[in-house]
Amino acid sequence: MRRAAPLILVLAILLAWEAVARSGHWNPLLFPSLSRIVRELIGFFGRPESLMEAWVSLQRAFAGFALAAIAGVTIGMLMGRSKWFAALLDPLFSGTYAVPKLALFPIFIFVFGIGSLSKVALVFLECLYPIVIVTSQGARGVSRVLLWSARNMGASGAATLRRVVIPAAAPFIFAGLRIALPIALIVVIITEMVSSADGLGYLVIYSLASLKTDRMLAVVVVIAALGWALDRALVMLRDRLVYWEKLETYYV
Amino acid sequence: MGLARAAALAALLVLWQLAALAGLPDYILSPLAIARHFFAALGTHELYADIGASLWRALPGFVIGSAFGVALGLAAGMWRAFDGAFSPVVFLTYPVPKIVLLPLFMLWFGIGDLSKVLIIALACFYPVFINAYYGARSTKKILVWSALNMGASQGRIFRRIVVPSALPQIFAGLRVSLALSFIVMFAAEMINARSGLGHMIRTAENSLRFDLMYVSLISIAILGYAGDRLLSWTRDRALAWQEQPA
Repeated sequence: MRRAAPLILVLAILLAWEAVARSGHWNPLLFPSLSRIVRELIGFFGRPESLMEAWVSLQRAFAGFALAAIAGVTIGMLMGRSKWFAALLDPLFSGTYAVPKLALFPIFIFVFGIGSLSKVALVFLECLYPIVIVTSQGARGVSRVLLWSARNMGASGAATLRRVVIPAAAPFIFAGLRIALPIALIVVIITEMVSSADGLGYLVIYSLASLKTDRMLAVVVVIAALGWALDRALVMLRDRLVYWEKLETYYV
Repeated sequence: MGLARAAALAALLVLWQLAALAGLPDYILSPLAIARHFFAALGTHELYADIGASLWRALPGFVIGSAFGVALGLAAGMWRAFDGAFSPVVFLTYPVPKIVLLPLFMLWFGIGDLSKVLIIALACFYPVFINAYYGARSTKKILVWSALNMGASQGRIFRRIVVPSALPQIFAGLRVSLALSFIVMFAAEMINARSGLGHMIRTAENSLRFDLMYVSLISIAILGYAGDRLLSWTRDRALAWQEQPA
């Protein structure tokens, strides 16, 4: 019963949708029935073009995310372990944290062109913040006793980093990556909605402009499923690599 | 340290200015030019109209989304039955980019402010819900037991124990969702709007008015920063009883 409760809620929402769609009070343009959305969804996976659009969006998200992960973990580690770096970069990151980096996108278009590069650059910038901030917290919080013990037993700086600091900070690094991954997808979709001729965000806007709301909703379902699947994949990777610490979160 | 930081920032600005003198592309303005355009725009009526339009979307969205997030998050953290039915749905839809629903909301609620306010509210709901939820769940059981033992009512326990111990977490969630409200507002205005800072930067981009692009950028940066400062000032007031972390 406990596990069935959320299922019942989801089913109720879907049933309510179908009831509204079939009542005839509303234009099917506003509430396309589930069967039409499912048909479009099947069509989406049947067309190589639409799969290409998904691939384009995924590539952009991954490229920006991977660059942000590499740079962010490095910067976060430096900030967490070196007072000098923290003093230099902390004001920069906390000062511009609340500024929507999205506003830089029009300038990025001029600098990096209208293609993928400007989108990847914005994904990189938006993902960098959570990764840097959470990683530096983790690196700063490494237990002193562990560091002293390692030094006492004659571990070199590199060995201490590899065997003590990185494992201790790993749960934090993954927490930062987990915040950043949905952001990567969001930023790609937004930038594709704002200015693009390809990608899933473009497909959403294009379907709406051609008044195919059932197709638009099918794309929305695909994007939602992607967001969910990427998060699951990251959690699975985390459980493999950071097996010694169980994920704190409750349901996810 | 503060002096070194200010010097580094000043050096950066001077370098930028010198680079601009040596010749940068049209779309990169020098710091002095940006400052001049920004202060010139401050004297016009248009900038305030756009800022007002943007805030009129972002703030109601933030307030509505956060209010629902706090209320439902605390409820899910306290009542097991509600938690079991509702929380999995929230966690399942959490990694979904909410902005893709904007076109749908535009169909349902019109292309005016309502659809934008609601999409901002939806985006703001999630971080606040999750933080309020974990905040309520992390309430020390011993405090609740003591209160029960001393004959406190459910409402009193909620007001005097659960809410205060969840408050730091709730503020952490509010901080995320305030930043999010500005991002979603800007995105929504870039996608479809006839006013606001996002609309301003789009039209500036299309008409190659680089000065206006930077005016919009500086305005949103200042708003985002000021909102964040205001929120942490409020938090420090509200959590004055809490021990400051060393």
